[in-house]
Amino acid sequence: MSAQRSISNRTSQQSASNADYSWEYEYYEIGPVSFEGLKAHKYSIVIGFWVGLAVFVIFMFFVLTLLTKTGAPHQDNAEPSEKRFRMSSFVSDFGRPLEPDKGNEESRSLFHCYVTEAEHLEKARAGQQTTALDSDVQLQEVTRSSGRPEEELNRLMKFDIPNFVNTDQNSSFGDDDLLISEPPVVCCSGK
Amino acid sequence: MKHIINLYENINNTARNNSDCPHVVLPEEIFFTISIAGVLENLIVLLAVIKNKNLQAPMYFFICSLAISDMLGSLYKILENILIMLRNKGYLKPRGHFETTADDIIDSLFILSLLGSIFSLSVIAADRYITIFHALQYHSIVTVRRAVAVLAVIWTCCTCSGITMVIFSHRIPTVITFTSLFPLMLVFILCLYVHMFLLARSHARKISTLSRANMKGAITLTILLGVFIFCWAPFVLHVLLMTFCPNNPYCACYMSLFQVNGMLIMCNAVIDPFIYAFRSPELREAFKKMIFCSRY
Repeated sequence: MSAQRSISNRTSQQSASNADYSWEYEYYEIGPVSFEGLKAHKYSIVIGFWVGLAVFVIFMFFVLTLLTKTGAPHQDNAEPSEKRFRMSSFVSDFGRPLEPDKGNEESRSLFHCYVTEAEHLEKARAGQQTTALDSDVQLQEVTRSSGRPEEELNRLMKFDIPNFVNTDQNSSFGDDDLLISEPPVVCCSGK
Repeated sequence: MKHIINLYENINNTARNNSDCPHVVLPEEIFFTISIAGVLENLIVLLAVIKNKNLQAPMYFFICSLAISDMLGSLYKILENILIMLRNKGYLKPRGHFETTADDIIDSLFILSLLGSIFSLSVIAADRYITIFHALQYHSIVTVRRAVAVLAVIWTCCTCSGITMVIFSHRIPTVITFTSLFPLMLVFILCLYVHMFLLARSHARKISTLSRANMKGAITLTILLGVFIFCWAPFVLHVLLMTFCPNNPYCACYMSLFQVNGMLIMCNAVIDPFIYAFRSPELREAFKKMIFCSRY
């Protein structure tokens, strides 16, 4: 099959698409590239490509950093709970590692928080009102902001770093959930 | 691709006519070292997931898929270097039947590794996205069975595509399909991660975090995407230039850095475990357990 292919390639493709078996010894048929009369530097594609790539990545980084500095559309919720601060300090990281001793507890509470908040939001969508302290403001924001492009973001008050969802899968749910006022939804029971 | 092996061989055999842009030749030891490091690291990741029952979750399956594709890429490089060394020593005929078949198999391994890597990264990003934006339904959407099914479909498609691309290699539609996968996937991953990042930012802002946490998120995201772009884009551009302007002196000068571009892909296989697998504390724990248990 390979021999037939090479023959058919040679007979059918005689033009500049020389990239078939004839390349093995006839690489230099496309080789004699004349370097006469180049207007720009001969490595201009190389330099331009790498500079463009670096500029793109740095631009992306600055856009992301800028996003962190611009004002949020709603007020900050001043959560006095210390656990919230601890949680929030890592929650905005993508996969920043936690210390193993704190990992389970915080991720559990994170997850419970998230689960409860999302539950509240679903209730809100059904038109009910909740009296949960921590989700009251966000609830109103959600009902107000429905239809805006940031609705998706506002719906999820607490979210989890992907790692820790699976941590919760393996750890038992404790009762040290100081952040929520309602019992958590044991959503993982249905896995 | 066949011309990859042929290029290396020709450099060793004959002198270049147009030495204005001499091909940058990296010593084989560098390739061997990087490839072996890549194979070992990804093997460690695989073993850690296989040996630990608590790591057998969909998320880790996707990371395993990435580790497998990186391992295949490094294996490809090792096999290719061995073949080239055998050919240079004269043990193999240049155009023998075994030669060309081995070339084909190795090329399809390479394309399989590339496509597997691309799809694994996309699936990891999609999994993280579902984790964040559909967290309540996550465990019903992403079950182990579905994850295994998705991975099976992906790898079957990659295998078929790899074989097809090797058979029809150097045709223009093949090259265009191949090189368009890279920007498509980049855009897809970028959208997912930026959306996740926006949520992180708005969330952190609500709880009045320090901006340092947001900065770390920005840095992590930039590293994830930047490594992918830096390692893959040079090779993709090489394939494009090789197809569309092989006789252009500028393109020829870019293509003279082919081995550097190939090495970047190998480096990607080495770096990926550190930015995907070992970021997970559970996997690090499993890894430490494996190392320490093996000592006692």
